[in-house]
Amino acid sequence: MSDPTAATGAPASPRPRYKRKLSNYLLDKKLQLRYVLIVTILSGVIAGALGFMIYQQRRAASESIEKDLAALTQKDTSQDQFQEQIASDLASEDQALVYKMVGVGIGLVVILSLYLILMTHKVAGPLFKVSMYFERMADGRLGVVTPLRKGDMLVDFFTSFKEMHDTVRGRAQEDAAAMDKATQALRAAQNQGDYRGEAHGKLTEALEALEKHVDDRKSKLTDFPPRSA
Amino acid sequence: MNEQQRKDATPTPKPRGAVPYKRSWKNLLINKRYQLRFTLFMVGLSTLLMVGLGFWVMRVANETTEVSATSVRGTPCPKIPVIEAVEELAPVPMKLPDAPEPAPEPAPADDTEQPEDAGSAGSGSADEERPRVKVQIDESSMTMMVAVPQDLGQKVVAHWTCELKLAAKLDRLERGRLRILWVLIGTGLLLVLGLAAYGIKMTHKVAGPLFKVGLYLGKMKNGRFDKVYSLRKGDQLVDFYEHFKHGHAGIVQMQKDDIARVKAVIAAAEGSGLGDHATIAELRDLVAKKEKSLE
Repeated sequence: MSDPTAATGAPASPRPRYKRKLSNYLLDKKLQLRYVLIVTILSGVIAGALGFMIYQQRRAASESIEKDLAALTQKDTSQDQFQEQIASDLASEDQALVYKMVGVGIGLVVILSLYLILMTHKVAGPLFKVSMYFERMADGRLGVVTPLRKGDMLVDFFTSFKEMHDTVRGRAQEDAAAMDKATQALRAAQNQGDYRGEAHGKLTEALEALEKHVDDRKSKLTDFPPRSA
Repeated sequence: MNEQQRKDATPTPKPRGAVPYKRSWKNLLINKRYQLRFTLFMVGLSTLLMVGLGFWVMRVANETTEVSATSVRGTPCPKIPVIEAVEELAPVPMKLPDAPEPAPEPAPADDTEQPEDAGSAGSGSADEERPRVKVQIDESSMTMMVAVPQDLGQKVVAHWTCELKLAAKLDRLERGRLRILWVLIGTGLLLVLGLAAYGIKMTHKVAGPLFKVGLYLGKMKNGRFDKVYSLRKGDQLVDFYEHFKHGHAGIVQMQKDDIARVKAVIAAAEGSGLGDHATIAELRDLVAKKEKSLE
């Protein structure tokens, strides 16, 4: 999750519906690859160890058959070729078994890795999205939080984030409105009193600064980026 | 700070360093849905692999055991020579045959090796079918005893040694087969339990920071923006937590900016003689509220 804001330019047109892209599946490489590697290596070790046991047993059976055949035909030289043929067949069958197991193992690792990346993406996705909103909050931008995609995990966490975000945003809007109202009221009072002098100038300056501050705040509280109606 | 004025009861995450935090087994399942889903997937997959491949291993092991056992059963053992008991022969009639046939010659010592001589003994077809037995005569008591080959004992020992060895080999094969089965079951159980514990602990390192951030989110929702403490050692989602801290700092800065602007207005208004204005009182309340939220 290096820079979640990097990919979030503000589009001028209404945002298209988000679609998962293959290139975006590794959002949090550290988190996702760690889990994927653990499960894949573990499965590989189990499959490899049991596969080796299968091969060992199979080879032992083949060797036993070869030994018996050799014992049966040891006095009959005419059976040498037959014996070699059987030994060769058994060896190639054992070899085919190894290839089959290696193929199944590689298939398992590939399918498992892809599935795990998909699965961890459903956790990394919401975290990426929330990180993006946190970075906006760091700039004082509190727009509208859009919901998660279908199938995403950490729904409870996201819900509590959204509630916090909406509450803080609502409170900031109330504060901005209160400051705006106070500015107008003080400006009216200032005009009614018709004060003059340095104090008047300072108040005007302070009210202008507050007005600017409120305007800036209001702009940051608008829906960002703009969404279609 | 007056604690009674707080609106919320959100627990405050403990600061690092004050009391060293120790992970407790009781707290390992913070986010059950997330943690159990990932752990169960890992455990389920390993169980599936162990059971599937385990059955395959056992099938091949059974075949190998059967092949080896057949081979062992087919191994020839030295035979024990057959010794038959001396039968009570029917009394030989004393009457000589009428025909002038020559008297039968005594059977040679190794008559079993020369059956043609035995056939010509003239004792009839019943004698031919009856097995001939080597005997030895004890001259002192004039009793006939079955002649026992000199190496009989060795042959008997060799036979039974071989038979016992074969039985031991069969037993060893069966024990080997059972050992594979038990090793598979034991490894499977160990793997499942180990993976379950490891999975929960691993996911806890992700769920922990999420839980902590969740607590802060609750506080922020209730208008409290006090200090954010660091994660525990070994926790994951460090980058995510940094983003959270940036966001939190942004909100704190918003409050501080508001306070600074409003305080400047209050000071200027007081300087202009508007200190008693109702709006200034409202602004003072606003500043007090915001300052309290930062404590």
